[in-house]
Parts: sequence; C-alpha cells; structure tokens
Amino acid sequence: MQLSRGEFLRLAGLVSASAALQGCAPLYANFAALKADAPMRSNLPSPAGFPALNRLTFGPRQSELHTISELGLHAWIEQQLAPEQINDTAASLRIRHLDSLSQDANALEAREKFELISELKQATLLRQVYSKRQLYESMVEFWSDHFNISVAKGDCWFLKVVDDRQVIRKHALGSFRDLLMASAHSPAMLTYLDNQVNHKDAPNENYAREVMELHTLGVHGGYTQDDVMELARCLTGWSVKTHFWLGDFTFVPEMHAGGAKTVLGEVIPSAGIAEAEAVIDRLAVHPATAQHIATKLMRRFISDDPLGDAPTLVSRAASAFLQTKGDILSVLRVILLDGLATQAGQLPQKFKRPVNFVASALRSLEAETDANHAIAATLSQLGQPTFEWPTPDGPPDHAAAWSSNLLPRWQFALALPRAEIPGSRIDLDHILSALPTNSPADMIDRLSHRLLGAALPAETRRELAALITAQPAVEPHEQAAVITAGILASPAFQWR
Amino acid sequence: MSPIINRKDFLQSTVLNPGRIIWPEWMPRLAFSPAQVEPRGDTLVVVFLRGAADALNMVVPHGESAYYAARPTIHIPRPDDRRSAAGERVIDLDGFFGLHPTLKPLLPSWQEGHLAVVHACGAPDESRSHFKAMELMERGVSDEGGPASGWIGRHLATYNTGNPSPLRAIGLGEMLPRSLYGAVPASALRSIIDFHLSGDTKAAGQMQAALRVFYQGTDAVSRVGQETLAILNTIEALNPAGYRSKSEPSYPASEFGSGLQQIAMLVKAEVGLEVAAIDVGGWDTHFAQGSSQGLMAGLMSNLAQGLAAFHADLHAHQDRLTVVVMSEFGRRVNENASLGTDHGYGSLMLLMGANILGGQVHTDWPGIQAGQLFGPGDLAVTTDYRDVLAEIISKRLGNQALGEIFPGYTPALRGIAR
Repeated sequence: MQLSRGEFLRLAGLVSASAALQGCAPLYANFAALKADAPMRSNLPSPAGFPALNRLTFGPRQSELHTISELGLHAWIEQQLAPEQINDTAASLRIRHLDSLSQDANALEAREKFELISELKQATLLRQVYSKRQLYESMVEFWSDHFNISVAKGDCWFLKVVDDRQVIRKHALGSFRDLLMASAHSPAMLTYLDNQVNHKDAPNENYAREVMELHTLGVHGGYTQDDVMELARCLTGWSVKTHFWLGDFTFVPEMHAGGAKTVLGEVIPSAGIAEAEAVIDRLAVHPATAQHIATKLMRRFISDDPLGDAPTLVSRAASAFLQTKGDILSVLRVILLDGLATQAGQLPQKFKRPVNFVASALRSLEAETDANHAIAATLSQLGQPTFEWPTPDGPPDHAAAWSSNLLPRWQFALALPRAEIPGSRIDLDHILSALPTNSPADMIDRLSHRLLGAALPAETRRELAALITAQPAVEPHEQAAVITAGILASPAFQWR
Repeated sequence: MSPIINRKDFLQSTVLNPGRIIWPEWMPRLAFSPAQVEPRGDTLVVVFLRGAADALNMVVPHGESAYYAARPTIHIPRPDDRRSAAGERVIDLDGFFGLHPTLKPLLPSWQEGHLAVVHACGAPDESRSHFKAMELMERGVSDEGGPASGWIGRHLATYNTGNPSPLRAIGLGEMLPRSLYGAVPASALRSIIDFHLSGDTKAAGQMQAALRVFYQGTDAVSRVGQETLAILNTIEALNPAGYRSKSEPSYPASEFGSGLQQIAMLVKAEVGLEVAAIDVGGWDTHFAQGSSQGLMAGLMSNLAQGLAAFHADLHAHQDRLTVVVMSEFGRRVNENASLGTDHGYGSLMLLMGANILGGQVHTDWPGIQAGQLFGPGDLAVTTDYRDVLAEIISKRLGNQALGEIFPGYTPALRGIAR
C-alpha cells in the first residue's frame, strides 16, 4: 500500500507531537504478527519519520524526528545524500583525539596493536552514534560489510585503518568502480585475501574468487572455475610493500605470470598490472554486478527478501546502476526516494543487527557514551564484533541469523538504564521530565513512544504497569529503569 | 575466505579471557520425567570445520606417490620416512591412509573402534564457494531450490520424542548454525555458565517478570524469548557455577574445547539434549598452511584434543552418543606457490561413537593420480555426505523420515554404523 502525498504529510506531521501518537498502538501490535517462516508486514499506515529513521540511521533521535516533521522525509533524505553539506562539528569533536585518523601506515604499524584496533572500533561507533551524516555512516557500514576485512588477519590490524579511510569512507557515496578499484589496490584487502603472496608459479585464487563471488558478480554471476584461475593469474604480483614504504601497494613484475589470459570469454593481452585493472573495470559495470549490488542495498534498506517483496524496485535500482556506470548516489535515489520514502510505514520489518540494537538504544535515549571497550565487548557477545567478522562475506543481513541469541540483548537492556555499562550514561530524569504524573503508566507511555515510536498495546501496558506497581516502596527512578530495560529487551525494540 | 583467524579463539584470547572453567564430574539430574527426557536415539554432536579443511593433510593417503609429488613443501612425511623426526610423520592406520601427527590424541578412540573416517566424500555442488557450499550442505539440499530450513531442523521437526526440554537442540556460539534452522526449540548459547541475567538480584528478577509480560506472542522471536526464559530456569536449576571438579579436565583451552565441555555437561545432566552443533573456523588455508607443524597443525591439534577429551569425558555414554565432523569441501591436491592450498572438492568426515563401525577408513577411493582428479585438480567425491548423515539419522537417531530431511535425494547406506 502506498501513501498518498496528503496522507504522508499528515502522518509525518504527527511525529512532532508525541501526544498525538497515543492512538498508534496498532504499529506495535503488528510486530507480534511475525510468522515463523515469513517476514512480518505492517499493513497499517504509521508515522513515516520513526520507521524511516529506524531504517536509514543507527536509531531515531528526537532532533531528527523534528527535522523530518518540518522538512518532510523526501527533503530529509536529499539532505542526507549530500553529507558534505551537513555540519558535523559535534561528532568531529568527539573523535578528534584519536590519532589513528590521520596517521599513515608507517606510523600506524608502530602503534600498540590492541590499542589501535580499539581506536578504530571506537571511531566507527562514535560516528554511528553521534554523526549527523547518518545515511553516509550507514553506507560506510554497508561497504565495510561488503568489502569485509578482519583486523585479526596478518597486518590487517593496521592496514584496515588505512582501508577504512582511503577506500570505504572516501568512496562510500561515490562511484562503485572507484570503490572497487581502490579496494583491489588496498593492502588490507590484498593481505586479508592472500593476494600479496599470489605468485606466477602456482597462483593463489583467494582474492580472484571473492572479488567475483562477493564483491561484484555474485555467486550466480556466470563466472567459472577457469575464470577464477585466469583472474588469479592476472592478479599475480599485486602485493604489499614490507620494508621501505611499508604497507603501500606494489606491483612486483617478477611475481607476475606473463602471457595472455582469458577471463569471462575475453582475451586479456599480456600487460602486467593493466590486465587485472581491465578485468576489474569490466566487473565494476557488469550487469550481474548491478543486480548483485542493487539486491544487497535493497536487502539493507527495504526487506530481507527484496526479490520476493519488491522485484520491480530491485530491477529499477539495477538499471540505475548500469545507466550511471555504478554511481552509488543514483542507485540510492531509486531505492530511498522512489521506494522507502513512499512507503516508510509499510516496509517489511528488519531484525536489528547487534550494532543497530546497541546504537539505537544509545541514540533513542540520548546516551552520553565513549563507545569504547564496554560497547565493543557487548557487540562481540551479540555476535557482531566490529571489524572482526572472520569471513569475507561480512556479517549477515537477515533476521534468522540474529534472532536466536536474545540473552545478551536482554543483559545490555538491563544494564544500560542502571548505569552498569562502563562509559555509557542515560538521563532518565530528563527524558521523563514534565510528565503529567509520576505513575508507571505515564512513564511507560513516554518511554514506549521514545523507543518504539508508538504506545504499547493496551494489555501489555496494563500488565507492565501492574508489575511495576506491585513492587512496594520502589523509587520512581528505579521504576523508570525497569520500564526502560523491559522495552529495550522487548520483541518490538528488536525490529527496525 | 581467510585462514588463520578463528574469531572465537581470537575473542577469547583478547577480550573475554574467562580463564579455565572447571566442571564437575557429576551433575544433578533435572526433574523432567525420564519418559519425556530420554531421546529415542543417540545424542548427536555435529562439528563443522568452516573454511574447507584440507582432508588430504588430515587423513593422509601416504600410499599415493602422487600425493608427495603434488605437495613438495606441505606434505606429511610417510610413516617410515627416516629423514623426518618420528613426531612429524604420518601415523599409519591401514597401510594406505594415516593420521596427521597432531591427530594422535584420536588414536585411542580409533583403536577402541569408536572412530571412523569417511574419505573422498562431499556434496554435488561444484561452485567451490564457501558460502554457497556451506548453505547447501547445512540445508541438506542439492541446489538452491527446496526448503530453507536445515537438515537438523527437519530431523527434529519430523521426529517427536515428546521431549519438552528447551535444550533439545542448541548451537554453541553467538549465532544459530544454518543446519538448525527450523528446529523448535533451537537456541544459540555462547556459554552455559554465563547464561543468566547478571547484576543485582532484585533487578534481574523484575526484568524476568517484565520479559514474561513482553514475550507472550506466538511469533518467531517471541518463541525464542520464551525458550530463552525456560533455559534460564533450567540452567539456574543446574547451577553450573556451583560445582568444581577434582580432576583437571583435558579439554583444550579454546572456544571449541570449552564448547565441547559444556555439551558434555548437558549430556551428563540429562537435560534432554538431542542435538548440539558447534563450529570451528579458520580452515581456509590458502597461505602458509604448514605441514607437520604450522597453521593447520594448530587447528588439527585443537580439534583432536577436544574430541579426545570429549570421548574420554563421556566414555560411559558412548553407546548413546554420535559425533560427526564435517567441512564444506576439500582443497586442491597441488599446493600453491604461497605454501597453501586453494579450494578443492572431495573432503572427509570423522565419526565417533560406540556404535560407529570404527577403526576403519570407509571409502571408495578415487585416487589422485593424473586422470583420476576432478575439475582443476581436486580429489573426486565418491560418497555423498547425505549417505553418511542419513545412515546415522536412521540407525542411531531412529528417524526414518529421510525423504523429508534430504528432499529429492535417495541416500545409499554405506555400512558406517550399527
């Protein structure tokens, strides 16, 4: 169901006045309708701002909800698609003490390993929680997953810091071809997938396979084992300097297999480094790549099953990719402006991945966090350690992968409002200021609107209030912590 | 995929560092009635070696001269190769195959007839893609059509033991393995000893009460939540942290060792465990694989020490226990120039248990001479992995619904179990 422009504006307008949301219980009720083997669908319109922010950011902040209610969702997305126009000083101040952000590979290699890894994680999580360029940070996350590199492999513990800056963040909203080419020349990627030792005598196929299977064409993209072996030969000699200019890309002619190669039916004349570059140029704009990238972006922003739920939009996004030779912004315009923005209240639900669960709790509750060790440890326990996913497929992006491990989420939900997460604090008194009364029911309403964008179903609200009231002689502050913990741990908060 | 990294071991060593967990010799029985709790068949433990383990360097065909020609650097010396130290040579099993020296801890179970090898086995998928191969294998299907659930999930769904335990099926780790999809209940447990809401007791109690309010639905996530609450109660009754063993267990100090130890605890406690799945990562050895020592030797040592400790720990339970070790495919026969091996095809499975026809390498060996290889130079597959699993499911677990568990495939039983 698509909202008309009028309906959309009316619903978006509701967001600014949370009191007007008291009647929006059906949104929550829909969360419970999930079937074991089919993604749940909301059939009722709901305010566009909250679900859109849940999907496009690391969790809705009140300030962003207000902006959307003023500008409209479409204009807000346009703003986010031009992140360089967004003043992000506040977030920059929070990360400016991190030396690694400006150090080159030589300086990074001299750092203490685990301190540097922590710093990379912290910079990433601080930006996810505090940056106003939320869509840009979401795309940085998307490409970090797509071009996954684990810092636990070889020299990746310092090379990934450079990759994050020069490959992922530099090209996240640019040209896919430039992104792919930068990744192929990235010492971190070459190390992670063993190409730095790819030698003519007996080529190493690891990177050659994954660049086609995972980064471009997809496993059904039409390449063969022979293509893998021939591309591996093209890539012989693509390596990393280990002494002077340590950590720089280098092409070693003595390691490179001479002679012509044939990849995807095309003869590649002997041309040294230019052979693989020619293949990468071709892969970057291949129709199978367009389909693969469009499907993955749709899975991230729209639905776990994009080909089942929105096949037309996938096709349109893939066409935009092909027509623009992989202009990432053009593909996003189709998916977000023509897709998400027109039906933000009826999107199929996505289960929050661990980072979205943690970050949305921090953002929705306006937490003050250092995003340091305690947060990193939580993400490990939830199964998504930042930059430590071991395999090149990156952490999965569908509900079934994440929904069987609830206890660590409950633990975080319990600990955060009780100030038991070192380095993270929330101010419940502020969130609950100026309530009509200090009754559990009023606290529940304020917190459920804040965290879920809607009231709890009447029955749940009544049972929870009864539970709180039944505890004798408990301070209101303690009651608020229990309510917050319960809602953070609830099934509804696990979806975005 | 990348070698070297075992995410879980890495985390354990750098972040969590929980120290050694000491488990009791004896665990209390829970209050489920025996008729409901006893699974009709064995408890099944499935160990998945993620990354395509190199079968040829695990159970080495030392009788094949082609093996030594193909691997000038990373081969394992013949059992009688006097040029190498005794501890670096293959441990002969039957005059043709032998164990990598780091698998020596498995010898007692082999000699007891509790350990079998199925060699040159695998799946029909020839993509040599880790992710496609693992998915198809864990789903137990030949191609991407067919049910999205896993083969273990369908086994449990088609086999009603009347077992109400929330611990009927578990995956050890942060995520549920694909093979368990579709099983109800099935939960991912990272650590049994840490499976509780920690912190202030009163707050944890209130939290549980609030969770019972929120998790009343019939949707998938609400059911997981209900199971998780039930497991909290079950494990609270076990009080795993309250027991201390007098004898030092011999499990390796790794996530795998700790995982097996926790499975053993659940088996001994008779909490209704029917299937446990545990992963060991890091087997994608494109680079610097090593031979008798090195990267892969370290992985095998952890595997063998864990399995041997598990076998010894549960020796009294061996007639009701089957362990299966598998991987998504094998590796190229020829080594590459970076002292590793690329993606291949034929693989192996290890089977443990008192009712496995052990002390044998079960294989229709295809050979690895020129002309016998498959595709770009790989060990051929002569036994479908589903033949092995189907025999275990039907003979050891008692479930005959093989057509539903492996749709579109008619397994041939190979005589690997009683």
